Amino acid sequence: MSSPATIASTRLKIGLEIHVELATRSKMFTRTANVAHPDHFDAAPNTLVDPVVAALPGALPVLNRRAIEMSIMVGLALDCRIASFSKWDRKNYFYPDLPKGYQISQYDLPLCADGALTLPRPDGTVKRVGITRCHLEEDTGKLGHELPGGLHYDGSLVDLNRAGTPLLEIVTEPDLEDADDTVSFAKELRSICRFLGVTEGIMQRGHMRFEPNINVIIQTSDGHEYATPVVEVKNLNSFRAVKGAIDYERDRQVAAWREDGLVMGPGAKSTRGWDDTRGVTVLQREKEDAHDYRYFPDPDLVPVVVDDAWRETIAASIPELPMKRRARYVSEYGLSPADAVTLTDDPRLCDFYDTAVIATAAATPDLSGPAGLAVAKLLLNAGAKRANETDRAIHELGIGPEQVAQLIALREANEVGSTAADELFGHLCQTDEAARAVAEREGLLQVRDDDALDAWVDAAIAAQPQAADDFAAGKDAAAGRLVGEVMKRSQGKADAKAVRGKLEERLR
Amino acid sequence: MADPLSKTAVEHVAKLARLRLDEQQLAAYRTQLASVLQHIATLEELDVDVVEPMAHPLDVTNRTADDVVSPPMDLDALLANAPATEGGYLAVPKVLEDQGG
Repeated sequence: MSSPATIASTRLKIGLEIHVELATRSKMFTRTANVAHPDHFDAAPNTLVDPVVAALPGALPVLNRRAIEMSIMVGLALDCRIASFSKWDRKNYFYPDLPKGYQISQYDLPLCADGALTLPRPDGTVKRVGITRCHLEEDTGKLGHELPGGLHYDGSLVDLNRAGTPLLEIVTEPDLEDADDTVSFAKELRSICRFLGVTEGIMQRGHMRFEPNINVIIQTSDGHEYATPVVEVKNLNSFRAVKGAIDYERDRQVAAWREDGLVMGPGAKSTRGWDDTRGVTVLQREKEDAHDYRYFPDPDLVPVVVDDAWRETIAASIPELPMKRRARYVSEYGLSPADAVTLTDDPRLCDFYDTAVIATAAATPDLSGPAGLAVAKLLLNAGAKRANETDRAIHELGIGPEQVAQLIALREANEVGSTAADELFGHLCQTDEAARAVAEREGLLQVRDDDALDAWVDAAIAAQPQAADDFAAGKDAAAGRLVGEVMKRSQGKADAKAVRGKLEERLR
Repeated sequence: MADPLSKTAVEHVAKLARLRLDEQQLAAYRTQLASVLQHIATLEELDVDVVEPMAHPLDVTNRTADDVVSPPMDLDALLANAPATEGGYLAVPKVLEDQGG
């Protein structure tokens, strides 16, 4: 069948399912170490397994309280209602990465529901994305086809390290209408989860997996509206893949509709995978009974009751979230939006920055300008330069927040010049000593002593007679060469402002 | 009397449970499962509108553990329980892309 009329417009309709591996120390239902915790990222295959994970007869699950708390933190950050009562259900299916033959999940009573995240867009508008629910479950093991050393194995190799990792599944309403908003949402969610400390959020390790449900609303020139069948794209673990899959599906679904005219309806939903190399989605064959999971309440686990006191304690542990921090940096400190984004990329850098700002405001209460701006400039210039050179993060360079404040105080009092300040930053990355002590030892403090300055100024005038004549004749630009000469002779230690004063005294 | 359970339904349930049943077994289970369903149908006649759904037979909640790590099981013991192993992995026949979860 071909389309009855020409297409007037198309509009994407996207909902997201996001799986977040929670970085608890131990697993969801047993105390063996969790591969999503940084201490165990690179554990050898099957070394994070115990009788509960392997589903040996008689092994029983015990719930990890921290996993519940982390999930509630995410729920609260997404403005969800936290269920006072939730329970555990078994989702039954057979697969080699699932030793028990069922996954423990939450079917009808999820921990969190009915939330929203409102994203600011670059153009000043906002996009509200409804959160349907967040429920907690356990991750499965992993199947591979490669032996250690890269040799191909003609079968499936099971690694159960990931089996039993707490997995938070977040489901949004189909509120998203384009790939850019979807990627912004995904990035903001990752950022929130990292600031909450519930995951390291390393995409390549699969800490967060995105599954968009995509279809297209087609309006034809004769005023009819058609909704194409929903496609779920499984297991995307990069933002590029999320964008690629959505853009590809928009074109593919419109073309398919032109071809077959199929619209959304019972049984029309299909599942596709993303081929990263070719940049296309590929239909995944599914058995017709794949979704017949026969959920039922897990008799091995008792329900979870979250009372007001527990919820309030968890709420109190939530730090200021990245979106709020960015807004604060821009409105209160006068940072550019781009710098605010850079400083909130990593929660550890952001905390370092905030601590340094507080220390700076305390050390130099009469600072000219916001402390936040001074610290940002220092970190994003002297800091970023060294971070690039040494391939480390700015907050890991070795300089402490107090030292940042001390350096800014010295600079503000004009006790160190700008070049010396940068050099001092480098020294402070190597030592815990106070900035002034290091500046003194390294000879970085500006010299304002009259005798010394007079001697350098005399020598500079003698060395640059033409510049001296020009400056005396009123050419202000000539001062640069004279000051430069003084700086050369003083190895950058002369106070430039004082030198300039002396030149005027002497030559005009 | 509820509809008797169809043979197809029994075959479907057997497939989900990875059970291969012969004709005799199919007939036997069909009768047994039908009587279970019949019992459920009887229970459904009760008016339970005023009864709270029961999530668990025990009147207990929040049995949780602290998030502390305890040692894993011995890798050799784990692998010894597997039908086949390869380089520290559990080896199984090749799985097609019909991801269950």
